[in-house]
Amino acid sequence: MPSTAGDELPEAAARRLRPGAWSSGLSVADFASCLDMGMDPVGYVQGYAVLQWSWFMGTGGMGMGMGGLGGGWAGTPQRRGQYVEQWQCPHGFVSAEHRMYGANYELTWIEESWATGWGLATGRMLDEAKALGASGIVGVVDEMRPLFGGTVEFRASGTAVAVPDAPRPANPFSTYLCGQRLGKLIEAGFAPVSVVATLSAVRMLGSCVTHYQLAGTNVGTWYGPAAGGVSGVGPVDQVNRAEAAARSLARERVRGQLGADILHGATLESSEREIGEGDLSIQCTLKGTRVRRFKDFDPLPDALPVVRLT
Amino acid sequence: MNDDNDPAEERLPAPPDAPARTGQLPQGLPPDASRRLAELEDRPGHKGMFTSDLSVNEFLLIKEVGFHPLGFVMGSSIYHLGIQTRKWSQSQELSKLTEAMYEARQLAMDRMDAEATELGADGVVGVRLDVNYYEWGSDTAEFIAVGTAVKAEDGRSYRNRQGKPFTSDLSGQDFWVLMQTGHVPLGLVMGTCVYHIAHRGLGQTLRSTGRNAELPNFTQALYEARELAMTRMQDEANELEATGIVGVRLEEKSHMWGDHTIEFLSLGTAVARSEGDFTIPQPKTIISLDG
Amino acid sequence: MTIRDEVRSAVRALSAPSPAEAEGSGKRAGTGGTTSDLTIDETLLLHSAGWEPVDLVYGISWWSIPWGAWQWTTGEVQEASGAFAGAIAQAERQLRESCERAGASGVLGVEVGIRVSSHHVSIELTGTAVRRVEADAHRFEFVSDLSARDFALLTRAGWWPLGIAAGASFVVAPRRSAREWASQQGQNVELPNLTQALYLARERAMERMQRSGSAMKAEGIVAVKLREGRASSSVRVIQFVAIGTGVHLRTGEHRSVSPEMVVPLDDLVRGFDVKSLRSAGGE
Repeated sequence: MPSTAGDELPEAAARRLRPGAWSSGLSVADFASCLDMGMDPVGYVQGYAVLQWSWFMGTGGMGMGMGGLGGGWAGTPQRRGQYVEQWQCPHGFVSAEHRMYGANYELTWIEESWATGWGLATGRMLDEAKALGASGIVGVVDEMRPLFGGTVEFRASGTAVAVPDAPRPANPFSTYLCGQRLGKLIEAGFAPVSVVATLSAVRMLGSCVTHYQLAGTNVGTWYGPAAGGVSGVGPVDQVNRAEAAARSLARERVRGQLGADILHGATLESSEREIGEGDLSIQCTLKGTRVRRFKDFDPLPDALPVVRLT
Repeated sequence: MNDDNDPAEERLPAPPDAPARTGQLPQGLPPDASRRLAELEDRPGHKGMFTSDLSVNEFLLIKEVGFHPLGFVMGSSIYHLGIQTRKWSQSQELSKLTEAMYEARQLAMDRMDAEATELGADGVVGVRLDVNYYEWGSDTAEFIAVGTAVKAEDGRSYRNRQGKPFTSDLSGQDFWVLMQTGHVPLGLVMGTCVYHIAHRGLGQTLRSTGRNAELPNFTQALYEARELAMTRMQDEANELEATGIVGVRLEEKSHMWGDHTIEFLSLGTAVARSEGDFTIPQPKTIISLDG
Repeated sequence: MTIRDEVRSAVRALSAPSPAEAEGSGKRAGTGGTTSDLTIDETLLLHSAGWEPVDLVYGISWWSIPWGAWQWTTGEVQEASGAFAGAIAQAERQLRESCERAGASGVLGVEVGIRVSSHHVSIELTGTAVRRVEADAHRFEFVSDLSARDFALLTRAGWWPLGIAAGASFVVAPRRSAREWASQQGQNVELPNLTQALYLARERAMERMQRSGSAMKAEGIVAVKLREGRASSSVRVIQFVAIGTGVHLRTGEHRSVSPEMVVPLDDLVRGFDVKSLRSAGGE
């Protein structure tokens, strides 16, 4: 239903609830399912945050974006427990093109900025839901997009719902799910608690060996494997460790936020950006809905296999 | 009468008979293929295995009707499709292209059949015919036929009258249902017709006809093309002495020739009644509770 | 209990203090901190087969390809298929280790992400580790790209997954010689060299998949998917990847699933009671 607030009002005012007039981001089928379940939509809620964003911020002389050729890296961890691994050149010579060090390290400022941005956006969305007196928010959509010159906007939105005849939780619940899938989740005995998301970022500053491998250079003829020779077809260890670290960081951080609850419907996505030759930055996001068991679980009876004649 | 749009003047003959293949690959399977297929078979000292591109549902269903998968089989042919000169003012079949499209697909299917025969199969199910266009070959297209070769577990032979394994583009589900009705597949049958629709006549026709009126000559031309394709498919089914053809579909593609040249391809699976009595089981009616 | 009652219970439970370390009473619930990418339907099906999800697990491996491997050959690029085989084996090992560390018996729903660039092949495997509900010890049994649903169906018939069988081949398409090109202009004719090259590449990919199946002593490979496409930035390089799940019969006999034929009576349009915007059929 379209909001009856006039188009001339600023957006913030248009979002204010007027009795009987609300908007919802749900599709018709999901909307019908919500009503079936006894969740009444009360309004479309959103939260935004604009952050300054740069891959090369941060203190501590980490060889920002220069590729750290020839030892421009004086590695000091930013904070305790940060992931850091170092490699040293096994070869016997030094040259302008041949790196003495390589390192994988966690980009903690990126991770913290992302957590801040996402937290602010979802927090503001939850505040709006609270103001509307909602029990929770369904069908949450969260996005991050670049705006202009070094800034990004975090955005979270969803449909706030009220569940009559049940006490309102102090913090409205939130979930990426809606409609039938949410209904089935609840029927199975899980209550949605909140959306959870984390980003991990690892920079891989290639050592000389890694650099050669990624450039496809065959150094095997010069050195045997013991001296760090590279035979051309083989695992790129440094990258493999960086990728594994990125994922494991994301998963551990989420696990720490779950307590005794479960993360349902998790999506794990990762991407790499090549910053220079032999330099990658790897990002990994893990998102899902935190759910809590609220009743004992009866497994389904065996399903009946059928062939449909359509 | 505007004679720009005369239909084709003569009835073109059906495509060449199956045996006269002109593919240039050596007869018999290339050694790599034979080797791959040999690895699937049980031999003294070597346990074979099956491969199947059927989904889990389809796998379980073909087992239900007493068939076991042997292996994934395929055949392909890369064809250069030269454009024959067209009489631009005439709508007509481009018989050379028709023959080429037919031959290319037939080559692909024959190679797939050869692989299935090598495995000792009774038939191939889930056959898919695809055409790939690669950027590096203009006028070049690759015709591929893939499927899963199967064998009956009761030892009966289901090979068709030509002694070849049956082929069928039916899914595992449709295969199961077909067998429940007391029919067996004989072979994939196809008919094709590449038709060119006149250019120059079109503009004049549009100007001279009133608005929103049928263009009877074009209707006639396309009708003719479709009928040619379907008749040829029917002829193939008759050769197999089929009772009928199920799952018939008519595809229309322009490939890389532009809008005015269309290939009409008619595909289906020829079937025959199987021996013995059959009572068709009564299906249940249900109301699904999914959204 | 209607769905409305369930929703009210759920919301009520959120106001109660969170069960910090307490396990749910009665039937075994998932332990805290579990992450699962299964949908609720799949989770329920898995439970009905007697299994439960444990954790999200992954394996990722990059292998390098030397420069020039693509350049001066026609026909197969052995280095690329070697790198593919190495990468997928390493990724599968990591997946298995993650699974064992999580205390699970197998991994389902594995998504296989393959990226090929001029200097490396990278394989990423992500799936859900699962274990039997009523069991004390869990030893490693399988890794598979089957969904939970397919797993439940197949195992009911007696077939159990073993591992992911995969094979790949990369081929640089041969060019036609000038004479061939000239003689083929205007002709509708098969191109034997190209046909041969691509046909062989497909067969090799399938063969390698079969070999990886035999290595795990599979009786068969089901749900084979043959993916083909352009590899890397060169348009003349084509890759063929064949992936499936190796399976075997545990009890020695296939068990029939005996499906029923049904005719669904659903119409596409659902009726709505306009006044209250509730769907016809209410509670």
